[in-house]
Amino acid sequence: MKRTLFLVVGLFAFGAPASAQIELTGSYSPILYEDYIERGPGSDLGDFTGMPMTDEGRAKALLYTSNLPSTIERQCLAQAPWVLQYRPLGMRIWSEVDKDDKVIAWKIEGDYLRDTLTIWMDGRPEPSPNALSTAAGFSTGKWEGDTLTIHTTHVKTTWIRRGNGIPASDQTTYWVHITRHDDLLTVVTIQEDPFYLSEPHVVSRVFKFDPRANQGGRSICNTANEIPRLEDSGIVPHYLPGQNPEADFMTRTYNLPKEAALGYAESLYPEFRHKLKGTYTPPAACGRYCCGWIERQGLPGAAPGLSCNDGGLGELHPVVRSKQDGEGKPAPAKK
Amino acid sequence: MPKLVAPKPSAKADPKTRISIALAFIAALGLTTFAQGRGEAPGRAGGPPASARAIAPFDPTGYWVAIISEDWRWRMVTPAKGDVVSIPLSPEGLRVAEAWDPAKDEAAGEQCKAYGAPGLMRGPTRLHITWQDDNTLKIESDYGTQTRLLRFTGAGGATGATGASGASREGGASGASRAGGGSGASGAARTAGARTWQGVTTAQWTMAAGGGRGRGGARHGSIKSITSQLRPGYLRKNGVPYSDRAVFTEYWDLHTEANGDQYLVDTNLIEDPVYLQTPWITALHFKKEPDGSKWDPTPCDARF
Repeated sequence: MKRTLFLVVGLFAFGAPASAQIELTGSYSPILYEDYIERGPGSDLGDFTGMPMTDEGRAKALLYTSNLPSTIERQCLAQAPWVLQYRPLGMRIWSEVDKDDKVIAWKIEGDYLRDTLTIWMDGRPEPSPNALSTAAGFSTGKWEGDTLTIHTTHVKTTWIRRGNGIPASDQTTYWVHITRHDDLLTVVTIQEDPFYLSEPHVVSRVFKFDPRANQGGRSICNTANEIPRLEDSGIVPHYLPGQNPEADFMTRTYNLPKEAALGYAESLYPEFRHKLKGTYTPPAACGRYCCGWIERQGLPGAAPGLSCNDGGLGELHPVVRSKQDGEGKPAPAKK
Repeated sequence: MPKLVAPKPSAKADPKTRISIALAFIAALGLTTFAQGRGEAPGRAGGPPASARAIAPFDPTGYWVAIISEDWRWRMVTPAKGDVVSIPLSPEGLRVAEAWDPAKDEAAGEQCKAYGAPGLMRGPTRLHITWQDDNTLKIESDYGTQTRLLRFTGAGGATGATGASGASREGGASGASRAGGGSGASGAARTAGARTWQGVTTAQWTMAAGGGRGRGGARHGSIKSITSQLRPGYLRKNGVPYSDRAVFTEYWDLHTEANGDQYLVDTNLIEDPVYLQTPWITALHFKKEPDGSKWDPTPCDARF
């Protein structure tokens, strides 16, 4: 009788689903087919399109200059938890188990993370609101079907997105959903910030399982003096309010009205097009970062045979790589 | 020394044996139920399989709005001609994109080229999703006033988390790409007929582990859909093309937040042996709205 009971219990144990529905362990490469400019070469200054910012967030972002990250105190601000959503490299995921092989935490190491993310799965409570904010924040996770849902709190002050100063306070929290479909990993981050975001900032990215990628790298931020005049000088590079020359960059470059480029929440929704219709006209031609392939055209690794304006990193000129020349030599700049 | 005793022949099992048999039966039943959740749609014993609507692990119906927080400049407005960044076009794809002429599209009555399924889903749109019947999900857009139909196939239109969907087994996206014209796609997609902006879509529920077990509690899963038979159109409003050999695969997930907000996430890849070098893979997110008060039908527009 006892043996039968053991048998039955055993059968149920094997038959029941594991608490972790999907194996996440592995390296994942990002698929840069969205927001390539931001995730590749980096965001344009003054490009807050797609952001729901408060007036305070917008004002602070417009003080930003690209020299600001050179001050030692601010060199790590870009390395927010979940910054890998805006970066060109990937991540590595693994689990940590207890003595009974039960997963107690998932770990994520990734591009430009300041510290390894630890997602506690053991049901521990969130710390007190007064607890220390850390580079990785505090994350708990739970499975909802095949989706790992994560809540991240207790983060440090950082920037959002990449390279143009959109601020996030240490009161930022994230809900994150990680879902794996075959070899594709969809990561949805829903970021809230009572100071700088007027509504949740939602981003959905896709990564691809890549056993050869060895993604991850170091999760650390080293600081060093980069500009001598900033060393121990107390200088904080900035633009004064209303004096940022890049505040109208998107208008000058892409004919977008300021209210479209500067992060107003209403611009995220279809009805905003009513304001654009009749006022927006596309630029006559694409002037920079035009090419569809990830590699710059004409360089090793680039897709062959393309001829498009890759611009963006210097003088804007078309690089022609045709079957005829075969060498990918740049065409002379048009005058 | 213990005595070996042969069991007594008896028509009636002793109580211990009966309990053992009963427990083993219950265990076996448990395993069967679990296997059902992972691999097949639950159905009524001896009856027809349950419909896709009946076994739905989440409710996709309602009004949803696209949040254009990514690729804003390429989704909310028409970018400049030749701006194909982020899309892995083939040389032929680039050539076609650089030849884009909206006036020609208008003259040809093809203002809706950017509103075919792969372009439509990236558009600044609201979606109204309803069940047209027990096995067909209807997705309407106010942007271009398009209608997509996701036809669930197989027994209840479900598959296990670890198993391939019926559509995939029959060729799936890559098979269709290789074969061209969707000839390798699912049964529905193989049906001969005119190609349309929205093509022919087959769908399957993919049940999460435990999600289809029918033991109570929350059920989880996602939809996998495959669209082929597409009329050639645009991935982007400025004439970035896809061909009639394109196959559009989507994974649909629902996320419900602690505050009740719901997001429908559409992870998708489009394969096109003519105009793309590799599949173009993105994810889109839609937020649930309480009603259709912001529904704003607008016709196709080749320029804006």
